[in-house]
This record gives sequence, C-alpha cells and structure tokens, in this order.
Amino acid sequence: MSVSEQPRGPKLTAWLYQKLFHNYVWRSIFRSGYPNTPRNQMLAIATNVFLHLHPTRLHKTHVKITHTYCLGGLTFFFFLSLTVTGVMLMFYYVPSPERAFSDVAALETNIRFGMLMRNLHRWMAHGMVISVFLHMMRVFYTGSYKPPREFNWLVGVILLTLTLALSFTGYLLPWDQLSIWAVTVGMNMAGTVPLMGQQTQFILLGGFEVGDDALIRFYTLHVIGLPLLAAIFMAVHFWRIRRDGGLARPL
Amino acid sequence: MAVDAKAVTGTSSSLRPRREREQELLVWPDLVFIEFIAAVVFTLAFVILSTVIDAPLLNEANLDITPNPSKAAWYLVSLQELLLHMHPALGGVIAPTFALIILAVIPYADRSNDGQGIWFGTPNAVKITLFSAAFASIFTVGMILYDQGRHVNVVTNIVQHADKDWQWPGYLAPFQNVRAIQTGWTWSVPVPEAAQLGPGEHDGALHWPEDFDHIPMPFNGTSGPDWMRWGPPDFLPGWLQALYWYDLNLNLPAFIVENFIPVVVMVGLPALLIVTMRKMGWVHTVRDGSIAIFTGMMVVYFILTIIGAGFRGAGQDLVLPWDVPHID
Repeated sequence: MSVSEQPRGPKLTAWLYQKLFHNYVWRSIFRSGYPNTPRNQMLAIATNVFLHLHPTRLHKTHVKITHTYCLGGLTFFFFLSLTVTGVMLMFYYVPSPERAFSDVAALETNIRFGMLMRNLHRWMAHGMVISVFLHMMRVFYTGSYKPPREFNWLVGVILLTLTLALSFTGYLLPWDQLSIWAVTVGMNMAGTVPLMGQQTQFILLGGFEVGDDALIRFYTLHVIGLPLLAAIFMAVHFWRIRRDGGLARPL
Repeated sequence: MAVDAKAVTGTSSSLRPRREREQELLVWPDLVFIEFIAAVVFTLAFVILSTVIDAPLLNEANLDITPNPSKAAWYLVSLQELLLHMHPALGGVIAPTFALIILAVIPYADRSNDGQGIWFGTPNAVKITLFSAAFASIFTVGMILYDQGRHVNVVTNIVQHADKDWQWPGYLAPFQNVRAIQTGWTWSVPVPEAAQLGPGEHDGALHWPEDFDHIPMPFNGTSGPDWMRWGPPDFLPGWLQALYWYDLNLNLPAFIVENFIPVVVMVGLPALLIVTMRKMGWVHTVRDGSIAIFTGMMVVYFILTIIGAGFRGAGQDLVLPWDVPHID
C-alpha cells in the first residue's frame, strides 16, 4: 500500500497528514492514498463506487468543453438534483384533490425555503428536458451514435421518452388550472390511440377524466415508477458508454 | 473519401488503434474537476434563477372552468399544434410515434462508423444542416399560415375595393385552407342514368362533398342491396367486435383533409428535401440523409413549440404573442 507516500514539508504537516489520513478508520473508508501520484489518482477513481463509472484515463480531446458541452453529465446532474428537491417536496405534499393544491400553496408561504425548493424542482425539470434534447443533438451532430454505439443511442431515445413522461406526470401534481388542463389536453391525445385509445386513457387516468384516481397514479409514477425505470436505463446507458469504448472520437 | 474508409474498416468494426500514452489524461483530476465545477456553476445558476423567478401556481384545479386557450406542457404543445391541422390520432399519436421510431433507428440505417466524434463529420454536413433547417422552417411556417387562412381576408379586402360584391370563388376553396377542401369546395361529375351508386335519389351527378362522405367500406354489413346486408356480429367476442368495422363508412372529404394530405405532406416534404439535396450534389451517404431528416425533425418540433406556446390565443387562433390571453 501507499503508507510510505508523504508530502514534502515541515515535520508538523507530515505528522498531521499521517494522523489524519493514515489512521485506521480513514484507511478503512478510503483504501488508496492521497491522489497526488498517478497511481493513487487512478485508484481514487477505480476504488470509489461513485467515481468508478469513469475510466481511470481518457483521451485528452474528451475534456475539451466543446466536444460534449457536458450535456449528458448535466442531464444526470439535473436528475440527481431533482431527486433531492423532489424528496424534500414529498415531505409536505399529499396527493389528494383535497390537499394537493393547498399543500403546494402552503409550501410557498408557510415553509422555510419551500418556495425555493419548488422553484428549483420546476426549473431544473425544464432544464433536464432541454439538456436531454441538446445532448441528443450533440450526440447526433458529432456522429457519436455510430457503431458500436447504436444500442446506446436507442437507450438514449428511451431515456428521452422517460424524461418527458417524468415531466408530464409531475405537471399534474400542483393541482392548479395549469396542471389539470395541460394533462387533460395530453390525455385527450392519448385517447386517440388507434384501436385502444379509450383503454389507454382509462388506464392512465384510472377513470374517464382527470380526477383523484389520476392524481394518485401520476404521483406514484412520478415519484417512484418512472424514476426507477429511468435509473435502470441510465445505468445501462452509462455502462454501455464504457463498454463501447468511451466517448466517440475519430478513428 | 467516406466510402473508402468504410470499405477498409468494415461496418461492424469497433476496433481502434491503441492510443498513445502522451495523449491521455488522468480522470482524476482532469475530468472530475470539470464535472465538479459544472455542477457548482449550475447549482448556483439555478438557485439564483429560483430566487428570482417563481414557479407558476394558478387557481385550484376545476374541471368546470375551461381556460381558453388550454395548453399542454411546452414540450407537448408541438403535438397540440399538429392536432389543429390533422386527425387527432395522426397528429397526437401516430406522427410522434413514427418520429421516435425514426429517431431510434437512425444508427441502424447509418451503419458506417466514419466521421464519428467530430462535429459535422461529413464534407457537406454544415450546408445540409443549414439548408434543412431553412427548408423545414419555411415550409412549417408557410403551411401554418396557409391553414390559418388569413390570406383569404387580405385578398378579399383588397379585391373588394374594386368589386364590392367579390367573394373568394368556390372552385378556389382549396387555396383558403385545408379544411375548405371538405367544407367550402363544390363540384360535381355527371353520372349516367343507368348507374345507381347509392341508395339516394338519382339526380344525374355526384356532388362534392355531400355525395362522398358516406362511402361503405368493404365488409360493411349496413349498406348496399339487401343481399349485401347482414346483422351485427354478436357471436364474436367483444374485443373482436371492436376490431371488426361492421358499419364503417368512409367520409372521403374528411379523410383527405385529416389524414391523406397531412401524411403526403409529412412524408413528401422530407423526401423532397433529400431528393433536392441529392440533385444539388450535397447528399452522398446515409449519414448525409440522416442529418437532413434529423435537422428537419428538430426544427419542425422547435417551430411548432414556438408557435403553439407563443402564438396561439383564445380558441387556438393564430395571434401575436402579446395578444395571447393571460390564464389564471
């Protein structure tokens, strides 16, 4: 192991470093030493569950901002932030027609930082839809869907649909005139599905119009069903980036 | 060039030469720090945005009060805009489903791995993108303006300065908007006395549209002479009854207006775009073609979103953005 690696400097810092980062507890959490050598820098990525989605090394063109504009990562960032703000909103929100609207209204007036959380959740949701579209355009115009990444593009299209579905189901939850009529418009579209339109609409709404059954269905899909599905496809998406040889670059 | 590279690498090749060590960077710190900074910048930006602009919250939901206009979420108003111009199933479900399928199969059609990882990797890619964007914008905006039919008022006003009684002639109705083909257009073809085409009175001619809106489809049991009629298929299970078009009659004018013309336009214009650019010598490979189609789809989506969100007022009328009613 890397016990022998120590920063140069006065004895006090060396001692402090030794005590802080080479004690038994610290080393039980972080197996690798301080990332100041190439070996430890690679270990920092490879031995960390969150960072190990990355390769340990990458081609230098891939860190150019103009190559990707960070759009895929940004989408993931929005997803994580939406999870955090969404969990906070869930503390105060009851998905029933009697309470939904007043809970959201109370969130804006009675709860400290409630308005901020709701605003963040809404604007980041819009941000995620936009960044998904931009990410798709980046991947397309750089030809990054080409072999061997065909399947990952397909997973991306599924994730695009899931993002729109997540946003659409969340749209109903404030239970105001904007949400209920936007969802009514959308559900009328679903009702025109050839051969099984009425059935599709009925399954999604749990009834013939947007009511309390629709609210609980949209809520369940929004807070657990679709996020889980999206997380699964994201796992596949990220895994396949690595398996297919990282970011696309000229052959 | 593109063809040569494809021949050498093959279509399924995912092999690449081993990269040189000096071209490599370590993910820690070079990439992880960029990601960290991006996360911090966007967190800060959205916190600032959220303190400045509040999310909308209108009055409590009430299905008895319909706002006018009622609009879908912004990423769906493009579909809502399509509904104004075609059959709801076509505009709201079939067309977007096909769009998603086309999107998903792009890499299975464009199988060369030539030019990957470069912005606009083919020689004409930028030209194709710009041309397709312009083509899609002009036709989308043009068709929406045509279907809105404002030009009818303009022309009528101008001509009425000269001739007070002038009206848009009936035989030119298709130039008003698409729907006028069904509602405002009248013509007839003479039919000989011997031919009896329907159950009604024979008046010597077939008139558009009223003689064309009830054409029995094959296996329809409710029209024609007695031997061609039969009872409803009660013996079938319910779901088969729903599938069997027992009393289906074709409303030909409505079908042409709501389905046929939109499909011809949605298939024909992309085809025209590709053919035009092939003739101009810009499109050589599947990649070039897919750039054109993808760009067209994105631009149409964008323009329909802008028009649906910003230019549709009460009754989904085409108005200027500041005339769109404020809903609360």
